[in-house]
Amino acid sequence: MDDKPESGEPPEAGRRKFLGLVGGGSIAIATTALLPQAAAVVVPDKPEIPGYDWNKHHWAFGIDATKCIGCLRCVEACKVENNVPTDANHFRTWVERYVTLEGEEKTRIDSQHDPVNIQAAGAEGKYRFANRYKDAKVEKAFFVPKLCNHCTHPACVQVCPVGATYKTEDGAVLIDHTMCIGCQYCVQACPYGARFFNEEIQATDKCTWCYHRITKGLNPACVEVCPVSARIFGDRNDKQSPISVFLRNNRVTVLRPESGNAPNVFYVGIDKEVS
Amino acid sequence: MDTLFHVAPFTGYVYPNETVIPWTVLIAIYPYLTGLVAGAFTMSSLYQVFGMQRFKPVAHFAMLTSLCCMLIVPLPLLLHLGQPMRALNPVITPHITSAFAIFGYAAGFYVILLLLENWFVFRPHIVAQAQQRTGPLGWFYRILTLGSYDLSDRAMRYDRKWIFALAIIGIPGAHGLHGYVGFVFGSLKSREWWSSDLMPPIFLFSAIISGVALLIVLYAISCRLRKIPIDLDCMKGMTYTLWGFMLFALLLEAVEFASLVYRGREGIEVILEYVSGPLIVPFWIIQIGVCSLVPVLWLTYMIWRGVGGNALIAGTVLSALLVLVGVLMMRWNVVIGGQEIAKTGKGLLTYHMPLFERESAVTAAVLLIAPFVLLAAAVRLFPPWDDTNGPH
Amino acid sequence: MPNHIVRLLLVMAICAAVAYVGKQLLTVDSFYRFGHYRGNSVAEIASDKPKYATSKSCETCHKEIYAEWSKSVHYNPEQGKVVKCEVCHGASGSRDKNPNAYNSSTGKDHPKNLKLENPSDTVKLCTACHEQMPGRPREQKQIVVVTHTGNQQCKDCHDFHSPRKFVGTSTSKPGNAAAGKAISEDCVECHGKLGVSEDIEFPSIAGQPQTYLADAIKAYTKDLRRGNRMRKRAQDLSVTDSENLAAYYASLTCKSAKDGEPNAAIRGRALAGKCAGCHGEKGISDKLMWPSLAGLSKSYLEEALKSYKAERRKNGMMNIVARNLSDADGADLAAYYANLACR
Repeated sequence: MDDKPESGEPPEAGRRKFLGLVGGGSIAIATTALLPQAAAVVVPDKPEIPGYDWNKHHWAFGIDATKCIGCLRCVEACKVENNVPTDANHFRTWVERYVTLEGEEKTRIDSQHDPVNIQAAGAEGKYRFANRYKDAKVEKAFFVPKLCNHCTHPACVQVCPVGATYKTEDGAVLIDHTMCIGCQYCVQACPYGARFFNEEIQATDKCTWCYHRITKGLNPACVEVCPVSARIFGDRNDKQSPISVFLRNNRVTVLRPESGNAPNVFYVGIDKEVS
Repeated sequence: MDTLFHVAPFTGYVYPNETVIPWTVLIAIYPYLTGLVAGAFTMSSLYQVFGMQRFKPVAHFAMLTSLCCMLIVPLPLLLHLGQPMRALNPVITPHITSAFAIFGYAAGFYVILLLLENWFVFRPHIVAQAQQRTGPLGWFYRILTLGSYDLSDRAMRYDRKWIFALAIIGIPGAHGLHGYVGFVFGSLKSREWWSSDLMPPIFLFSAIISGVALLIVLYAISCRLRKIPIDLDCMKGMTYTLWGFMLFALLLEAVEFASLVYRGREGIEVILEYVSGPLIVPFWIIQIGVCSLVPVLWLTYMIWRGVGGNALIAGTVLSALLVLVGVLMMRWNVVIGGQEIAKTGKGLLTYHMPLFERESAVTAAVLLIAPFVLLAAAVRLFPPWDDTNGPH
Repeated sequence: MPNHIVRLLLVMAICAAVAYVGKQLLTVDSFYRFGHYRGNSVAEIASDKPKYATSKSCETCHKEIYAEWSKSVHYNPEQGKVVKCEVCHGASGSRDKNPNAYNSSTGKDHPKNLKLENPSDTVKLCTACHEQMPGRPREQKQIVVVTHTGNQQCKDCHDFHSPRKFVGTSTSKPGNAAAGKAISEDCVECHGKLGVSEDIEFPSIAGQPQTYLADAIKAYTKDLRRGNRMRKRAQDLSVTDSENLAAYYASLTCKSAKDGEPNAAIRGRALAGKCAGCHGEKGISDKLMWPSLAGLSKSYLEEALKSYKAERRKNGMMNIVARNLSDADGADLAAYYANLACR
């Protein structure tokens, strides 16, 4: 549905109405009378962002896990760029390490929040993978960067009781911190663990694809600092953008496709264990 | 920084953001209280709508209990919110695809319904008090009369019609409200432990048994306090009701658990590890064993053998107490349990309940006691006892 | 209808009206503008100020370093491998934390108010990407830290901005060649009259970079190089004397030994690529702290490699290089460099 941003009606509107009836059930009918004139409002073109028209863009993110070296510069950059609490429990983006040892059936997974890795980094707020498997017989190992999938059908937006989180016309899922009541229902609803409750602002927080950067023609901070181009970002409306080239040249997959969320972060080179 | 949040210890792999458990003990208290509301209302409906005369001694008391619990229901949610000042937002800009947004309206609607029904039920008492009393309490009653002391036959006929209509609306209302609490959890596809179509009926039936059990206990206590004998017929009726609904509730829970294990979808290994490890005491021993099987078998025995008199009362009250603990444990195991199983399907977390904090054991205890403090006051203002049926 | 019911309905109607009006009044501006959210929040979020200002913004002031970097292995857009300035130096824009205005920027920026730090612990910094670790793709250049650097810092050998370029550090200052000549008679016995040695055991020193020569004399006093005669001699010399001597010999003209076996030299040539980074393409160093190898005697060069390998002679880089060379390879390399023309 979102593939056609030029259509007049907001693409989510029809779906929202339908889900509204289903979700609200009979109570929805009772509340309709109290609902304001949502349908009657003339929808203005676009928000007042200087030099930017959200109708002309359709952002998407790619991850080439075969290139990731697990240096965690992206994690650090994200924390700095977005004032994310620096502890090991709040991340807008993170990197997972999958290691299968010879003779072991179960893949070992860790991320920068693992105590061993925090110790290797020296402190929370510094990010580094400990070289814990250097002497082991490793059959297979790889890194997988993770972030908010900015889903086409975001479960988090569906459950937000107040409309503090929403999907923009250009494809980002954003959070309005001034509306968030901090119930954390969206944190529960996200199957990817992308959301967290930011105690410093008492509101839910997550990746915005650095919306303040991409609307100024910059890359998200994590893409900016990735030294090996494992992270790819761009506009799908521009056929020459890195993401369009990436999607054209690779057979990609998404995380947990069965959830029906229809993620917009596309992966190359991940294994069956990754979800 | 350290006091801002609690980090949950984990085993296996959990997403970094999962290490802070979002929903605490208060969210386990919240469905418990709504359950008591729905259950107590069910008891009063059995008399008001279905005309079961044997429940007359507890009918009005049940309604008052339901109201008192309902008034406390929003508190755990309010205390949980990161921005309690914005608590009205779900009502001002309700996002109707959200189960939580509906809560504002559903709960509001239900509170109004309970207030109206209680008002009609207690109107003769209110009018009488308004005419007798002076001082602030007199004013309180006089405001409640809305300035009309009309207790004529015609007026009372109208009142009975309203009570009947409200009770009928209240049945889907109360049960819908609680079924929806099940939906809050059951509709989340992110957690295998919650994601189930059976969640609403499971919540509903456990709600009903908790409400019935609560009334059994409260009725017994109230009779003791008022120094009147317990109406055995009424008590026996409640025993049957508790027993019948318990069978349904247990069956539904068994089916839900069986299908969860049988489907064996992604992450089932961790769920089984959880069920056979950390859940042994809170789930298998307390919730299922001591608080479900023991009372249901005991009740079965008493019904089968036709136990009567004080033995029946003692057995039923003790069973009811166990059921009340069992349903609370069930809420805990659903709400906290669901979050202790990581979304990754590859790890387990451990929730530690703090003792003194905004979201802590003490708060939970206060919230659990609060409805009964309210109730103690309410029965003095609006005596719900039907004294025509027994000796004073 | 009885009075009390009429009044009840009235109360309910009033409450509903108040609730409705309240809802309308409390609904924030622009809420339903684009959908079920506050429309203005989009522009508010977008108005946030970026902290990572991109490498382009560094170029304005740091042109030389930028040019150096953009020719280096750390800038390879074809392969998608670009280590941008802010990867190592951190974000150049800054923002104060202000819990009340989460999305507003009030902070300090480089260069106006904030100096960017230069990473001090380069071992920690560089190994974030280059430590050998299971999971890193094979194309990624990786080292085993212990055997590669020992306890040295990466910056001791590698140029930050162009890591395939090597750097050295020296405290030696340029000396006075005339003053050096005056005290040079003690050197003649081994290193020859004009710094060109007649004896293949001893190296020719004419035309070597002067910083290297001064450092070499000091190295004997610190036991980084061994040799009884040189140590005694070096201990007698002041720092200035050493620097003057170095300046003198650096000014002299060298003469190539050309004593390598031609076939060995051809083999050696194939191995010499890695040496060129420091010792020059044709064995003539263009850096003051590293020696030219061209035209030194084969046996001296071979012996030098062996003493590096045995760590009798100490130099972080050369010890590692020599360790990875077989004696035969060392001989070939020595032959190759011995046959090259010196400056």
